Amino acid sequence: MITEPHIPDPDGFYAAWVGAHEGLTEAQSADFNARLVLLLANQCGDQAVLLACIDAAREAGMASETPPRSPA
Amino acid sequence: MERYKFAPAYELPSWPFVAPPELGSDSVARHPIVIVGAGPAGLTLACDLARRGVRALLLDEDDTVGVRGASSRGICYAQKSLEIFARLGIYERVAEKGITWSFGRTFSDQQEVYNFNLKTDSVSAQPPFINLQQFYIEWFLVERIIELGLTDLRWKNRVVDVTPLADGVRIEVETPAGRYTIEADHLIDATGANSPIRTRLGIDAHPSRSTDRWCISDVRFKKPLPTERWTWVDAPFNEGRAVWQHLMGDGVWRIDYQMPEDCDTAHISRPEVAGARLREQLGPGVEFEFVWIGPYGYRDHLLDNFRHGRILFIGDSAHVVSPFGARGGNSGIQDAANLGWKLALVAQGLAGDALLDTYDAERRPAAIENLRVTSRSARFLAPRTPAEHTLRRAVVALASRHAFARALVNTGRMSVANDYPAAPHLPEGGRSVQNLPLRHLDGTPTTLMELLADGTRCLGLWFAPTRAQAEAAADVAASLPLRLVAVGGDSGLAALQPDEALARHLGNPAPGSLCLVRPDAYRATLLDKPTPASISAAVHAALAHR
Repeated sequence: MITEPHIPDPDGFYAAWVGAHEGLTEAQSADFNARLVLLLANQCGDQAVLLACIDAAREAGMASETPPRSPA
Repeated sequence: MERYKFAPAYELPSWPFVAPPELGSDSVARHPIVIVGAGPAGLTLACDLARRGVRALLLDEDDTVGVRGASSRGICYAQKSLEIFARLGIYERVAEKGITWSFGRTFSDQQEVYNFNLKTDSVSAQPPFINLQQFYIEWFLVERIIELGLTDLRWKNRVVDVTPLADGVRIEVETPAGRYTIEADHLIDATGANSPIRTRLGIDAHPSRSTDRWCISDVRFKKPLPTERWTWVDAPFNEGRAVWQHLMGDGVWRIDYQMPEDCDTAHISRPEVAGARLREQLGPGVEFEFVWIGPYGYRDHLLDNFRHGRILFIGDSAHVVSPFGARGGNSGIQDAANLGWKLALVAQGLAGDALLDTYDAERRPAAIENLRVTSRSARFLAPRTPAEHTLRRAVVALASRHAFARALVNTGRMSVANDYPAAPHLPEGGRSVQNLPLRHLDGTPTTLMELLADGTRCLGLWFAPTRAQAEAAADVAASLPLRLVAVGGDSGLAALQPDEALARHLGNPAPGSLCLVRPDAYRATLLDKPTPASISAAVHAALAHR
């Protein structure tokens, strides 16, 4: 699993991602993200990496349950 | 309101109760092999043994075939099962009465999202699948068993108690004419999901029950449809729930509707309710008549061991999976074929008790695999949370546009012959060899199953051996349950014409190598440079000789 920066234009990707959610209901957004995950998973195509990503996403979610630090 | 017709009930055969000789006898008769339960697994085993020249006693509490009248449990018979039927001699009847198919389509709402053709990987003389009502399979097996004349088939003989003994099993049997007691060297429990033998012995099957509910409508109608397996993930005519549609024998369609989990099962299976559902699907003006309507839930279970001393569990008594992919009945039939040759060699004194342990070592992992596969299908078909519905919607939405997502649409992964794990008796693991059509050197056609049909021997397919090699191995073959057949070459052995499909199917063995195929058409091993000593060692290993 690649965790070092690998997206050529991070801000551009984020803008496109957020933009795709504009005007969607919460349910539509969830549907959209699920489709996106599948498309990205197929680009990866490496079972071990996919499972590592599932674990990493779960772990990051658990970390967010602790109170957020205030911005510096 | 529309009135719905029912077809006249099937007239199934029944066989007479004959008072067994043990009734009223003081001495306790000993039988080498007693099979309890004349369902697909028990009948396949009795027929397999009889085909090998081995006698067995088969006890059944009923006197007919099928369950609950014209209902049918199993409907899809997979290639490996059909190959077994070919060896047992009932395949032609199954093929004639049944519906051969290999093509499946999956729909979401009104749209086809995915289809498959199982034929593409097949090199067998049998098709990937034949659909047929289970009672016909049982019927053909019973008639074949009677024809072979080696099985003591006792109807209306209900086993009421079993007691494990040090060297066998004591069995208490109830009949319309009274009770009697017998002993068996080996007892095979083929009594099905609710095995009274399992209960009597206090063996936990670790059951778990699904909350998913379905309702079968077996129906005959005049609308012409292709002979394909159609499934809907979310059918518009079933309130967005799943539907199955399959043709069986006699022009009867099985249409299986997923129901709400909290449905009233009595209500949803009323003719007017089932009829309205079908009317919605078929549209107005299509005439139909019901053959059978029935609601069901499913469950799974798995025994920790398929062997308890002298008692062996086959079919549903050992394992139950959800119905998706036809892995229930087929695995029972394949359990029976796995055990048949082993019991036969043990009964004939040609193998020891250790060979029976390999039944559990092979068929329990197969059951675990089937449980894993069917549980995944069940979960795709019955999402448990709104989030799971979201994920499934994503799969279905992408599947109609992009090929990659079709692989995730899981409306059942159809039954295949399970691989067996590597073990001392199967150093490379075991893989089914399909029933390839072949030709003897003189051009007469044969098949792999025909080569395996007589007696109980391993088959050594020897690719272009030399005459010296074959002569050196002759004594080994004569001293073991082994039949050597050459594929090409000039060795003096009985020989087949070289065959490209056979070579490819076995991984293109080099000239001189020998593929050892077990009596159940599983590949035991491939010897690159066979010698009399290595051939002998391979056969001894496959038979778990110690």
